[in-house]
Amino acid sequence: MPVITKDLVSVLINTGGSTRVAKPVAPRFRVGDRVLVRTLNPEHHTRLPRYARGKRGTVEHDHGVFVFPDTSAHDEGEKPQHVYTVRFVARELWGPSAPERDTLRLDLWDDYLDPAP
Amino acid sequence: MAEHAHTAPPSDPELRIKALESLLAEKKLIDPAAVDAIIETYETKIGPRNGARVVARAWTDPEYKARLLADATKAIAELGFSGAQGEDMVVVENTEEVHNVVVCTLCSCYPWPTLGLPPVWYKAAPYRARVVSDPRGVLLEFGTVVSDDVEVRVWDSNAELRYLVLPRRPEGTDGWSEEQLAALVSRDSMIGTATIPTPAPGAAP
Repeated sequence: MPVITKDLVSVLINTGGSTRVAKPVAPRFRVGDRVLVRTLNPEHHTRLPRYARGKRGTVEHDHGVFVFPDTSAHDEGEKPQHVYTVRFVARELWGPSAPERDTLRLDLWDDYLDPAP
Repeated sequence: MAEHAHTAPPSDPELRIKALESLLAEKKLIDPAAVDAIIETYETKIGPRNGARVVARAWTDPEYKARLLADATKAIAELGFSGAQGEDMVVVENTEEVHNVVVCTLCSCYPWPTLGLPPVWYKAAPYRARVVSDPRGVLLEFGTVVSDDVEVRVWDSNAELRYLVLPRRPEGTDGWSEEQLAALVSRDSMIGTATIPTPAPGAAP
């Protein structure tokens, strides 16, 4: 891996590097769809928080196509797919003692989701 | 006589960082001058004053606010703020009905171009673990009371989007300039752990 030199610092900071992928990948879900988060317990890197596994939510926004970290973190390919903001009511995640009105938004990749039965 | 020994060794984490840095430099895996340049950038050039300018612009320019809520990355770049950890931005607006608060439960994802590097508490396990399950309790510890008829909306930003909260403009600031307004905007109000108090009468302009 090349070493970042002093001259490169401002370039890297000012441009960054989006993991957005300009590839036409079909989304598996649409805004408004009810989804069930898959119960996965990978030993490797994942962006799927444990508290959301097995929970139901609603797709609120489709952010487009991004690299899938679960595979790219292990040199197993980009596996580009859609990332959605999914809305959960607090009670779905934390049970009946959570305030009825409160909610949580979490961005999830296609491979973390199934249609809610 | 001073109460503390003048030659107290650095803390364990400090020693560990020094050891790691010199080892990485010796192995030519990092360039210490580059590390210094990164630190200097985030100590002196990039920080929450950038985000405050975005907020003040949104408060004073309805068209800018509309652009910001529709495509935050582009609208923030209009003010010159973009780059690492701000590649894909979302701005969420606090209203009478909704109070937003941002966390990264995975680690420390945070919008660097607008807020700089995250504070220690943002990266600490207690904040990350608790603000998702008991946001009102955590907000209370920050001195922020959210009324029961307001929805608390937690944003767990551990994917690729980075979130900035657009706080509510405080009462009593009619006619204030963008610059005066920006001075009111705290870092924590843009994370969502704080709100912006009404300034004392006569504070400005």
